[in-house]
Amino acid sequence: MLSKVFATIAVAITGSILLYGVSDFPAFGDPHSPANAGVPGSESVSLYFIEESYKDTKVPNIVTSVLADYRGYDTMFETVVIFAAGMAIFAILRVVGNKEETAAKAAEEDSFTNGDHNRIIVGTTVRIVVPVIQLFALYVVAHGHHSPGGGFQGGVILGASFIIIALAENLNAALRRLSELNYVRLAAIGIFIYAAFGIMAQVLGSNFLDYGALQPIFMTDGPEMARSHSMLGVEIGVAFTVTAIMFAIYANLASRGQLVKGL
Amino acid sequence: MIITAISVIFILAGLIFFIGGAVGLIRFPDFYTRTHAAGKGDTLSSLLVILGFAIYQLHDFESLSHDWLTLLVILKMLGISVFILITSPTSTHALMDAGWEDGTEPKIHRDRPNHLNDDCEKF
Repeated sequence: MLSKVFATIAVAITGSILLYGVSDFPAFGDPHSPANAGVPGSESVSLYFIEESYKDTKVPNIVTSVLADYRGYDTMFETVVIFAAGMAIFAILRVVGNKEETAAKAAEEDSFTNGDHNRIIVGTTVRIVVPVIQLFALYVVAHGHHSPGGGFQGGVILGASFIIIALAENLNAALRRLSELNYVRLAAIGIFIYAAFGIMAQVLGSNFLDYGALQPIFMTDGPEMARSHSMLGVEIGVAFTVTAIMFAIYANLASRGQLVKGL
Repeated sequence: MIITAISVIFILAGLIFFIGGAVGLIRFPDFYTRTHAAGKGDTLSSLLVILGFAIYQLHDFESLSHDWLTLLVILKMLGISVFILITSPTSTHALMDAGWEDGTEPKIHRDRPNHLNDDCEKF
């Protein structure tokens, strides 16, 4: 009882301090706040992005153009961080199963609707829903230029669709569709695609990840459309890596690194 | 005007079902009835609210050639509602099934006959 009183007092004090701090913030969407307009004497960089990013890249979504182009180097190594996280999970958890378990894995039944009758409901729903989810994931990846979305978000949705398959039946059903060899390959290929765009720009005589230099490859009218197309390309690479690592983390955690049966 | 009225009726109905689901989630006695309240209430109320929004969008709709973007928004909302209609009951079912397999006991009035264990063997 007494602890509740103290907890209430602590919460009230913390809350009032936080609310007091909020009163110092600029109003929501205030065009003259430091984040939007900068302090007197030095303009904020966001003004440049708001005014120039469409002219530079022909991408209406400023977030995508900043993420994949202006700070493309940063995003590339974010993807590498995700890859490294997946490899760390792999290195810590993965154990090579013994032969008995491999035999049991081979004997596992194949169908969503096999066995327990309650599987019929979940399995049928998953069979209907998974193609829609995967199609939507591709839409999110491809539509990152115009609406919220992009490689990270689309990749997570695509990885989740494989996790749903693993949850609805078992891990083997998902591993038949995206095997261990393939997801490790996919993760590496994603980063390779991203880095390839950077290196191609270097080969054509510009800076690393300066997509405007790829204009002769894409045969576009100007460097702007080349930047737009390259952004789609690197988003696809990001989506590959995120998909593979999402599924790899689930598969290794759910089966304690054995990749048999799962939960 | 009529469009606004219809959409408001839909959204209010959805909110009433949301309240029912929330009250049931708190006040029902055991796992199965609570899941039942949350699952049923949330599905129907989400559908009603989204349909209300879709009907409200018809405001901006003038002709098919002129306003296909509005139509696209409405179609997306209908797609979301179909998705919820399929997935939400299934997830409720999966949750109940997991609880049953885990051995969660339902609360049964002591005068009522308990048929739950009769069915167990068949499945």
